[in-house]
Order: sequence, then C-alpha cells, then structure tokens
Amino acid sequence: MNELIEEVKQLIIDTLDLEDIEPADIDYEDALFVDGLGLDSIDALELGVAIKKAFDVKIDNNSDDSKKHFYSVKTLCEFIAASRN
Amino acid sequence: MLSLEFTIKQCVAWGGGLTTTQDWQSYAKGEKILSDSQELPALKQIPAMQRRRLSPFAKLALHCALNAADECLTTVPSVFASRHGDLAKTSKLISDVAAKEVLSPTQFGLSVHNAVGGLFSIYTDNKAPLTAVSAGEDTFFTAVVDALCKMSANEYSQILVVFTETVVPEIYQEYIAQDEVNIACALLLAPAGQSNETYSLTVQANKAEIPTETQQMQVLDFLNFYHSNSEDSEISSKRHLWKLSRAINV
Repeated sequence: MNELIEEVKQLIIDTLDLEDIEPADIDYEDALFVDGLGLDSIDALELGVAIKKAFDVKIDNNSDDSKKHFYSVKTLCEFIAASRN
Repeated sequence: MLSLEFTIKQCVAWGGGLTTTQDWQSYAKGEKILSDSQELPALKQIPAMQRRRLSPFAKLALHCALNAADECLTTVPSVFASRHGDLAKTSKLISDVAAKEVLSPTQFGLSVHNAVGGLFSIYTDNKAPLTAVSAGEDTFFTAVVDALCKMSANEYSQILVVFTETVVPEIYQEYIAQDEVNIACALLLAPAGQSNETYSLTVQANKAEIPTETQQMQVLDFLNFYHSNSEDSEISSKRHLWKLSRAINV
C-alpha cells in the first residue's frame, strides 16, 4: 500500500503540473479538492484520465461514488486497490 | 488603399532573448541580435495554482498583455493574434487522437485559437469584447487593422493587441518559410492625437509578384521601426504592401 500511496502522490504532482510541491507535502487524508490541496474541477477530469491510464481502472464520471473515491489520497488508493482485486 | 492613424500608448515585447524596452532599442540600433533563447517571463502576478497550466505560448502572451494594459486591465477590449496558435499543444493532441489515447481535458480546453484571450479575460475579470485573429504572414498588421477598425466603430478610448508566435513543432517545419522565433508583442493603441506622436498604417495590394513569403516576421519589422528613429518603413508580403509612418504632432 505504501508503494501505491507514493505512486498516486507522484501521479497527482506530474499530471497536474504542481510546481514546488513534493509528495510529502500532500497529506494522506486531507481533501484534494477546494480545501486542502486546492485542486479544481479541471484537475478532477485530468486526474481521472491519468488514473484510468496508469492503473487501468474504470471511473464513473458523475456518480457520488467517484466523488468519494477522489476525496483524498487515502480514498483514491483504497479505490484503486479494490478495483485491482 | 486603407490608411489608419493612431497612437501607441504602450509596446511590450518578449522574445529571442530580448525582454526589456532597452533590449529592443538596442535591437533596432543593431547592437543586439535575436538568439534562440527559451527564457520565459516569470509571470509572478498570476497565482502559482493558475500559472501551472500556462504553456510557454500562453506565458509569453500574458506577460506582454498584462504589462501593456496595466492601466486598464479590467476594461480594455482586445485582439489576440497568432499565425499558428499554440501549435505545440494542438499537435500533441492530434498525435494522441491518432494513437487513440485519451485526450487531456486541460490541454483540450486550452487548445482553441482564442484560449489565451480567454485566460487573459479570466485572470483580469475583463468582460470587454475580444477577438482572435490568424492571417498568415500578415497576421501582425491584420490584427492592428482589426483593432483600429473596432476602436473606431465602437468609439473605444483604447484597445489592446497581443501578437504571439512560437516555433512550430518539428513535424510542420518543412512548411515554414519564415525565420521563426518565440515571441509575443502587446500594443495598447488609442485614437490619434492622444500623445505627441501619431502613427499611420496603410495597406494596399502588392502587385509585385513575390514567389515566397518574406523571411522576417512582421512583428520584428514593426519592433525594429518602433524603436528606431525612422519616420517610415515599408513591409511587403506576398499579398500586401504595408506602410508604417510616424509624425510628431504640432
């Protein structure tokens, strides 16, 4: 799981061109969007595409479940891990 | 023949390693030449979270636009011009389509010809009319004509022209006859009589048969003239003959 966490953090930084942000700066449980890291709706779309590509998982764009999955690094990792099984 | 008179209130340019007014003055005197410098403006005015999405093309354009229109950012109408647009971005998307890859939503959203104008209007909260122009090798002067006509028809007190060009990607290089350089130039124009210098621009059809495009980009012809002491300058393209002149008001 630790490996996946680092991978997801790095993917967020690379995909969204977050200059000056290190993986350690992204809190595991904090919100990624609006509060916390301060990402916006375009980032959500971009991140969705990147995660689909990198981990070969299916994401339903408008479901409430997707919103929950994209809440934090923690929820994203749990979602990816569950989808892989 | 069309002839238009106007005032140039601001002229800000960045490109080819020349980044300040002094640099461009030296360029016009022949003391400095263009380099293939890739240096980009820092654009500290724009918050980092917004700045991260800006391509080199957008950074060049916005730097010049924000500095030239500093006094009227929220109200000035504008004309954004580029011959090829942000082609580095567009050609990457086209390659992704060909490879059946999923397109990046951010890149896609910023790939239209008026994207940089849109970014400018968002950052400055400017709701004034804005157009995007592309007109081959005559793009620079065509944008000026478009701006002057709009200013006259709508009785604007000023209008912003932002020209941007970046070197086209390798795959399109064989179609380019001009010497290219990464450059942006923004002009804040006003009706004639607002300063002690009045410029005029005239255009007519070029009857001389020129087989190829001119080597030098028009924006450089303009900057060379603007920062020199010359009273007039003639610039020809395949289709048009442009004449720039300036006179001191008495």
